[in-house]
Amino acid sequence: MGNVNVNIDGKKLRVREGVTILEAAEANGIKIPTLCHIKDQVPTGICRVCVVELERSRTLVGSCHTPVSEGMVIHTHSPKVTAVRRVIVELMLTAHTGDCVNDTNAENCVLHNLASDYEVGAPRFNVKVPRFYPAEDSNPYVRRNLSKCILCRKCVRVCASIPGKNILSVGYRGFRSKIVAGFDEALLSEKCRDCGKCIEHCPTGALSAPVKV
Amino acid sequence: MPEKRIVLGNCGATDPNDIETYLGKGGFKGFIKARDRLKPGDIVDQVKKSGLSGRGGAGFPCGLKWELARNAKAKMKYLICNADEGEVGTFKDRYILSHDPFGLIEGICIAGLAIGARQAYIYLRAEYHFLNDPLCRAIAQVKEKGFLKHLDIQVFEGAGSYVCGEESALMDSIEGKRGEARYRPPYPQARGLWGQPTIINNVETLMNIPHIIANGAAWFSAMGTAKSKGTKVFSVSGDVSKPGVYELEMGSSLKELVMDLAGAVDIKAVQVGGRHGNIIPGHMIDIVLSYETCLGPGAVVVFNSKRDIIDIVHNNMHFLNDESCGKCTPCREGTEVMLEILGRLRGVEGAAGDIDALEDLAQTMALASLCGLGQEAAVPVLDSLKYFRAEYVNRIEQSLFLRSYLGEELSKSKEGER
Ligand SMILES: Cc1cc2nc3c(=O)[nH]c(=O)nc-3n(C[C@H](O)[C@H](O)[C@H](O)COP(=O)(O)O)c2cc1C
Ligand code: SF4
Repeated sequence: MGNVNVNIDGKKLRVREGVTILEAAEANGIKIPTLCHIKDQVPTGICRVCVVELERSRTLVGSCHTPVSEGMVIHTHSPKVTAVRRVIVELMLTAHTGDCVNDTNAENCVLHNLASDYEVGAPRFNVKVPRFYPAEDSNPYVRRNLSKCILCRKCVRVCASIPGKNILSVGYRGFRSKIVAGFDEALLSEKCRDCGKCIEHCPTGALSAPVKV
Repeated sequence: MPEKRIVLGNCGATDPNDIETYLGKGGFKGFIKARDRLKPGDIVDQVKKSGLSGRGGAGFPCGLKWELARNAKAKMKYLICNADEGEVGTFKDRYILSHDPFGLIEGICIAGLAIGARQAYIYLRAEYHFLNDPLCRAIAQVKEKGFLKHLDIQVFEGAGSYVCGEESALMDSIEGKRGEARYRPPYPQARGLWGQPTIINNVETLMNIPHIIANGAAWFSAMGTAKSKGTKVFSVSGDVSKPGVYELEMGSSLKELVMDLAGAVDIKAVQVGGRHGNIIPGHMIDIVLSYETCLGPGAVVVFNSKRDIIDIVHNNMHFLNDESCGKCTPCREGTEVMLEILGRLRGVEGAAGDIDALEDLAQTMALASLCGLGQEAAVPVLDSLKYFRAEYVNRIEQSLFLRSYLGEELSKSKEGER
């Protein structure tokens, strides 16, 4: 494959054909926020935080899954992009019922940091019934607090990439979607062991290592 | 303009259970011409020249799509006929499938020749289960006549999800996965079902093909407007005296359709294009129906002056929220928030920032959602805000007044208790 010319934020770049906009931008020191992206895994385009403005495109495009092509002109932080990202983060905070204020780990929360980067305060939106689930302590290796889950599905994907695992999946539909084990059962230790991969990838505090007492 | 029945020409004129009646009406002439006298490239050329565009909603040029799939290099290519027809207020595909299955199968046969597909699926909406057997019987009859040597046609029943009418979710559904949209590119023409080049066309699009091949591209492109060629089948329902399926030449006016043909008298608004379609206020009834203006899959729902606009929009959102697959954030969360806002407005519990919130959400959903459902979910909201803004403003003022008034009453009654 050859190279193509693209213009990202006014920088004229020559990048390898077939790489994504995100990869091209990162290789040239331009930062685009992501939530559901896992480096070197097939992208999914779920969270939509990485959207960028592509000239002559009707909609914004997800940078994690759109390959570059000759002559693309891309804006990663135009006012339109920033406004959309802000509403997306606000929406994530709306349905999410985490107790982040007194969470000691808040500074490790990717969503929390994204919200402060984009100056999103308390969301102005409401939903009829927020997604609330009691925290689950059934597994000695993973504590699940799905109220904080933003449905990025990273845990599902990393678990599926481990041979013989593939324990998690998405259950239900639409706003009521939920990350489930089996047919929405407790996550038992016979299946889920101590690899800790999902905890590593979780962008919020939904999955954490249980505190030993 | 009176009705012009081309796609629906054989509906009612032939027996859907007997291929001889269809052959008697000149059926399969187009296919025989395509098979014996045209090269695959010529078929694609004819379709391209005719200017036929997709009737499933997006209006993508059909010939261009076919050309891309034809030129793609792969061992296996697939053809899918989209008979999911989940859009609220559309029933044209059901009408076609139950009255003229042979016309559709002929279209599929020709499309298969053109792109070199060896496997075709008819993705049938779950609620149309009763059409499964008649369709299979029709396919068997066509096979007996020897028209299906190049292609195998299977009927695949959906499971009742609206978003599975969206082409990428539809392919996921056939592959046995959770029916959710995929990001594009790659487009199905390059990598679709099982990663192979795939063409997905609506029932009505394929119904046009035999006529184009038999009568020539020039005949077809003489009908319609500059960018929208041929005829369009509309499903008309709502506050009209004669609801039903009507076929009109592209470029006819909405007035002819809903007033002259369907018999609507009192029109407050018309929604064209299903649950995420445009809302056209009564005073704009002269608007021309074509891809340049508004069309979608041809669902036309008429509302009279007794209907409440906010109620209508709330009902739309309820449907879209329920059918959102839940994959991407803007649509999954956005439809839920919009539903909350519209639900409050409907119950006279609005708040000052509601209109701004709706507009912000609409922009985000339109720009950042992964598939058409989320991208277009806010179209009726924005249209109603454009043409019926006064109703929203009124409703919010009523809410604020009611709240302050009730607040006073409530505190008075509490004082009384003490
Ligand atoms: C949410 C959603 C639902 C759809 N449902 C249908 C449907 O029920 N039937 C259909 O033919 N196309 C439907 N479409 C359009 C298809 O994605 C696709 O554009 C169409 O089948 C292409 O065929 P055409 O080019 O012949 O129109 C839907 C699109 C979206 C975004
Ligand atoms: S826009 Fe809605 S229906 Fe489409 S992928 Fe996103 S959540 Fe699913």
